[in-house]
Amino acid sequence: MTRVRAFLLFISITACGPAAVRDGPLVILDDMGRTVTFAAPAQRVVSLLPAFTEMLFAIGAGDRVVGRSRFDEDPAEALQVPSVGDGLGPNVEAVLARTPDLVLIYRATANNEAVAQLERLGVSVIALRTDLLNDVPRTARLLGRLTGTADSAEVLARVFENALDSAREVPVMVDAPSALILAWDQPPIVIGSGSFQSELVQLAGLRNAFAEVGQPSAQVSLEMIVASDPDVILTTSTDSIPAWARRPEWRAVRAVREGRFVRFDGTAFGHPSFRALHAVRLLQARVAP
Amino acid sequence: MKWVWLGVIAVVALALAVLAGPAGLWPNATIVRDLRLPRALLAFAVGGGLAVTGAALQALIRNPLADPYLLGLSGGAGLGAVLAITLGVTGTWVLPVAAAVGAMAAVWLAYRLAVAASGLLDTRILLLAGVVVSAFATAIVGALLAVSPMAELRSAFLWMLGGFDASSWRALAVFGLYAVLPMLVLFASARDLDLLSLGEEPALFLGAEIEPLKRRLILAATVLTAAAVAVAGMIGFVGLVVPHAIRIVSGHAHRTLLPASFLLGGTLLVLADLIARTVVAPIALPVGVVTALVGVPVFAVLIRRQAT
Repeated sequence: MTRVRAFLLFISITACGPAAVRDGPLVILDDMGRTVTFAAPAQRVVSLLPAFTEMLFAIGAGDRVVGRSRFDEDPAEALQVPSVGDGLGPNVEAVLARTPDLVLIYRATANNEAVAQLERLGVSVIALRTDLLNDVPRTARLLGRLTGTADSAEVLARVFENALDSAREVPVMVDAPSALILAWDQPPIVIGSGSFQSELVQLAGLRNAFAEVGQPSAQVSLEMIVASDPDVILTTSTDSIPAWARRPEWRAVRAVREGRFVRFDGTAFGHPSFRALHAVRLLQARVAP
Repeated sequence: MKWVWLGVIAVVALALAVLAGPAGLWPNATIVRDLRLPRALLAFAVGGGLAVTGAALQALIRNPLADPYLLGLSGGAGLGAVLAITLGVTGTWVLPVAAAVGAMAAVWLAYRLAVAASGLLDTRILLLAGVVVSAFATAIVGALLAVSPMAELRSAFLWMLGGFDASSWRALAVFGLYAVLPMLVLFASARDLDLLSLGEEPALFLGAEIEPLKRRLILAATVLTAAAVAVAGMIGFVGLVVPHAIRIVSGHAHRTLLPASFLLGGTLLVLADLIARTVVAPIALPVGVVTALVGVPVFAVLIRRQAT
């Protein structure tokens, strides 16, 4: 199992590896293994993931963004950019209407068709998988090179890496309280160690109750939640007691009976971008007794 | 003899589902008493109810492809749930109640369409009306899901996929409250169903009161299925295939077909739910996936046996 995982890790590292820079045209290898060549930095970018949009604005390429997904609402300036609808399974016609010379899209099966279509229509598409915190500086540098803002992207990437390194230096306690990160209640869907949200929880000094799930998220049965017996439940609900927790079957979970819910909402928790580490401090403050 | 075997297998399945699970053999009393026991019983009752409903509807409509959701129920249930969320109604039981109401409203509409032509119920038109009403409701759901930014709407969608994650003693009690009477009505109509499956005209000549019988059957099937939707979402396959499996093994008489379908449908769903939760634990598969993965090969074997 470990060997399989190590192999997958190797694959993902090579797939995500440093995109080759040569003199002259910019050649980028994206996370679908596609090679895309750019003669000049992109001028009209359609960004289809909140994290991409946030980073583009942060590295000073916000004025190049001519289209965004309807969920990209940060920073506030991004709201001035026309929305093209969904970012997962996007409306290709709406994307084209913005006449982009670069489309940034999340690498997912649901986007394969859109990538193929845009490619056929002669639009440069870069598909990126951004699931873990290490993807943040990697993506930032890539976006910097694509938009000709490599220097400021490098600065922000370094700052993030330094903050991440020092956060990781703090050893995780053996008896750290365990946290259930609940993405959905019915069916119960939990966040596994394949997601940056699991990393955030760990950096905040907690243990992901479902770290054994290697995927970013997975459906589990309520029985497994009871058996894992988390000390706190991280939920996107803003109520002090989430609506689902009032259902009788959830009373079997100790943390539900004791009302140990911690809010886990907002863009800092939701998007793997520069502000993700801010979420660690927020979380520490919220979990502290 | 077949009866005894079905009963034994059913008891074994229930015992397995209570003793074993993704958290191991008998992990603690809370898991067994508050989660596994109500879950296994609910899965059994829902599976049995759907199979009995499917058997009755196949006879009533005289179409082998009839299943409990055929008469507009599936689309109606989804629309009910999505509408309740769009209108901002919140609460623990909103989704199940709205889905059940939507399901019954859709069947009522299909029924009105089917009797509009001649005043008598034409089951062929009822079948078409059900499909049409369901398609219309599903289209509205699709439109609402597409334009709505609300995460809650996706919850309706996920919920409609079906499963027993919301099992509790209370859910079991609610299902029992609404399911027992319609189930008794269907069991009591066994002889009438035998006649109906010959065709309406022969049934009429043989002394069946066709029109009230059809109304009674549709009402019972609808309430039963709506109750199942309310506690477990949409569970496919069981209501369609289990009655056919029983017919292959023990014939068409509804006096045995209905109870045997109940036992087999319940057993199949309990086992499918157990496998779904344990086979790749801690990850859980959707129960519908396993029902088909387990059920289809068994059914294929039965068909082959019948052919030889």
